[in-house]
Amino acid sequence: MATPAAAPFQFPPTYNFPPFFTPQPNTNTREAQLQKWSSLIQAWCRHHRQYRLSLVEAVDSPLFHNAALRKRLDLREARSVIDWMTKSEEEGGGGRRAEWIDGSGGSQGPKAVAWVWWRRPEEWADVVADWVEGTGQKGAVLTVYELLQGEATESQEFYGMDNEAMMKTLNILVKRGKAQVFGSEGQEGVKFF
Amino acid sequence: MGNTSSSPKISSQDRAILDLKNQRDKLKQYRKRITVLTDRETQIAKECLAQNDRRRALLALRRKKYQESLLDKTDGQLAQLEQIASQVEFALVQKDVMFGLQQGTEVLKAINKEMGGIEGVERLMGETEDARAYQEEISQMLEGNLTNQDEEDVEEELLALQRQVAEPKVAEPKVATPNLPNAPNNALPAPEETEVETPEEPTRTKTKTRMPALAA
Repeated sequence: MATPAAAPFQFPPTYNFPPFFTPQPNTNTREAQLQKWSSLIQAWCRHHRQYRLSLVEAVDSPLFHNAALRKRLDLREARSVIDWMTKSEEEGGGGRRAEWIDGSGGSQGPKAVAWVWWRRPEEWADVVADWVEGTGQKGAVLTVYELLQGEATESQEFYGMDNEAMMKTLNILVKRGKAQVFGSEGQEGVKFF
Repeated sequence: MGNTSSSPKISSQDRAILDLKNQRDKLKQYRKRITVLTDRETQIAKECLAQNDRRRALLALRRKKYQESLLDKTDGQLAQLEQIASQVEFALVQKDVMFGLQQGTEVLKAINKEMGGIEGVERLMGETEDARAYQEEISQMLEGNLTNQDEEDVEEELLALQRQVAEPKVAEPKVATPNLPNAPNNALPAPEETEVETPEEPTRTKTKTRMPALAA
């Protein structure tokens, strides 16, 4: 899933600012810090076409570990950043840009892996719906595999998307009455309306 | 999903298409796997050659050849599957077209029925023709009545009008002449000596000439 992109990821200037890696005591500063972390994580995942972020893996990756500064965000701190991201803006969070995946951590316990929604499923739904509209495939039956790996979607942003993320996206389209998912598990098809 | 209530939208054809497409996807995955395998066999053959193990290298290449033949077969089957999937989809489109045509025909039929068919139209046209002929007859009859009864009156009125137009012309000179003063028709040459001025003379002659014209 994390296909290495040709161009290296461009870290924002704050990444080279040591206090960025320490929880800020001042509420306002903390808020700004979380905001910056949130956009950094989103940008990172977008760059690497990553939909799930495993914290245990990520704390050793350049994302949370600045080798040049010898600074890192530890697991606990990374968790609180993701926690903040999962909350909606009304709750004083980061606009639900992340979502914990229950029971995915296995032995690592809860809050080990999270979705990082650099595009929320609702936004993905719009992207997919636009593509369906633009290619005249309303009323057509497509397999989910075709959507994710087909030759027709190769140029699309959702090409190679996480299967589960795509299912979430499709379910939003189903709720909107724009699609119907059917077929047996692992062989799902979708019909667009 | 919890949206089973709207599942009737999915027809059995949709399911059939999905099955076909799933088969196609499986074949595609299979092809991918074989491609990886053949790549690996080439790799193995190279490694064996590097180790001077000619027999195993040949074996690997043979396996590769066999897998490549499988790949060819897969491609053929894939083409067939895709062909049938698009045929099914096209047939569905055709069905829609047929449905549209059928509906259109039915609407046309209903409209024609409302018009009462060809006989109805013919009858209507005949009736229109009859009514028009009848109307013509009536107006002709009315015209005839007019000539008999009123033609003389009309003619008289016309004459009266003509008289009215003509009379003033005749009456005018009669009424106008008594009022006019007696024109000095004669005895003009006498005052010639007193009025010597030459410019007046042409005016006089002019009045002279005008008078007879008026009288006439």
